[in-house]
Amino acid sequence: MASNRLLTSSDLNKMAFNSLFLQASFNYERMQACGWAWSILPGLQKVYKGNPEKMKDALRRHMEFFNVHPFLVTPIMGIVIAMEEKNEDPELIRAVKVATMGPLGGIGDAIFWFTLLPIAASLGAGFGLDGNPLGPIIFLVLFNVVHLWIRFGFMHYFYNFGLEAFESLKSITAHFQKAASIIGVTVVGALIASFVRLSVALKFNVGSGENLKEVNVQTDIIDAVMPNLLPLCFTLGIYYLIAKKNWTPTRVIFGIILFGVAMSFLGIL
Amino acid sequence: MEFSVIQVVLVMIWTGLCGIDLFDGLFHFHRPLVSGLVLGWILGDMRTGLITGATLELILLGAVPVGGAQPPNVVIGGVAGIVLAISSRLEPAAAIGVAIPFAVFMQALITLYFTAFVPVMHSVDSAIEKGKGESAVVNANLFGMFTLFVLYAFVAGIITIGGTAAGNALQQLPPFISNGLGVAGGMLTAVGLAILLKIMFAPRYAVYLALGFILVTFFQAPILAIAGIAVIIAMIEFYLTNEISNLAGKNSKKGEASDGI
Repeated sequence: MASNRLLTSSDLNKMAFNSLFLQASFNYERMQACGWAWSILPGLQKVYKGNPEKMKDALRRHMEFFNVHPFLVTPIMGIVIAMEEKNEDPELIRAVKVATMGPLGGIGDAIFWFTLLPIAASLGAGFGLDGNPLGPIIFLVLFNVVHLWIRFGFMHYFYNFGLEAFESLKSITAHFQKAASIIGVTVVGALIASFVRLSVALKFNVGSGENLKEVNVQTDIIDAVMPNLLPLCFTLGIYYLIAKKNWTPTRVIFGIILFGVAMSFLGIL
Repeated sequence: MEFSVIQVVLVMIWTGLCGIDLFDGLFHFHRPLVSGLVLGWILGDMRTGLITGATLELILLGAVPVGGAQPPNVVIGGVAGIVLAISSRLEPAAAIGVAIPFAVFMQALITLYFTAFVPVMHSVDSAIEKGKGESAVVNANLFGMFTLFVLYAFVAGIITIGGTAAGNALQQLPPFISNGLGVAGGMLTAVGLAILLKIMFAPRYAVYLALGFILVTFFQAPILAIAGIAVIIAMIEFYLTNEISNLAGKNSKKGEASDGI
């Protein structure tokens, strides 16, 4: 496989490094096109060395609209530069770019936004809330080990194995998204109990004379039923507003702030 | 609390770098958790910075660009919350209620910025025709990162200088308001989690939500342990699904994993 390949390992690393800046020239007309062109440039320069006309044509093609998950761009880069190297039909290369953008977006969201970031950030925040400066460091290390391993690893893997590797990736996508959902939902359940804070401040007295007893609604009643019951119900309520009633997060946030101040004024929360 | 010129400049530089990292680099040192530690160190109160950052981190956990849509700006929201928490000596959770409008404002500003950047694409196009495409592509990206840096640094400067005045005003608030903001801060964490659930949740995953919740509520299990258990369950499901589809024959279509994410 590795014989008569044009790009060296360091070329691939250069491209993967540039891909960190995929969105440096982001805009609403072509989105990541120019960042993509920058990322793939070291490869193009090698493939079209000494052929300025072909280089010009390649740059033109790679300045076309492009938008993919910023963490999962290297699989496409690996495949596309391997195709450029083999002098494939530009129409086919364009088709591959367009066809791979969508599915990779879904996988990238699942890996990075719903699994890696919540787990790493909540782990770090747990330390941070106690004032422990290790929190941010744990977060950064955990996040970036996975991030860079995937970014650089996929660059090499997909350059070497090309389209066939993408087919196998696509076939496990459905399974992978299910697995990511299970992990993500479990962690969210844990985070609700750990970090959503909501307790009732009401107290009242029962009995009289020597039997007079102060009852704290939160600790004596709600916690006796189940601790963290209010945070759970509250989060599910917010979920209902956002997912079923289409409230925007901004509207929910302002609503909660007003609600908090009002309840505090009334002495309920 | 008054901040010195050097402190303001350092906050501006850090915020500029964070603004770049939000879109490019993506090392995620722009998250409030990390930013809180750094800004706290710059402003001379590392502990408050760290705790405010960690609190904001949890609130903004769901503020990620899912499907490419821009959420409230996590960098400026973080900077505003952390600077205000330190300058006003409010409870971290209370400062956050004040920070959210800044995050929403910056989100709108960035939308404008991405629109304003369109003409740069056309200048790159014409450079390519003149045979100067390679350097034009590089320069357009460097220019993009530079302008992002300036934009963020500028907004951070305004917030830090204005934050001193705002912080003094906030100290004069009646206690029920600062207390109420603190209460709201504790509840706001639910927003990020609800956004995550919106995308991941399907009724048959309710058992997993319950699992995570119970492990913390009754066993005080650490998050990492729970994530480990979840990975194990996900792998068991993965193997089982594979075996079942093997048993069912090689032509079984996989359409069952379409809900959830």
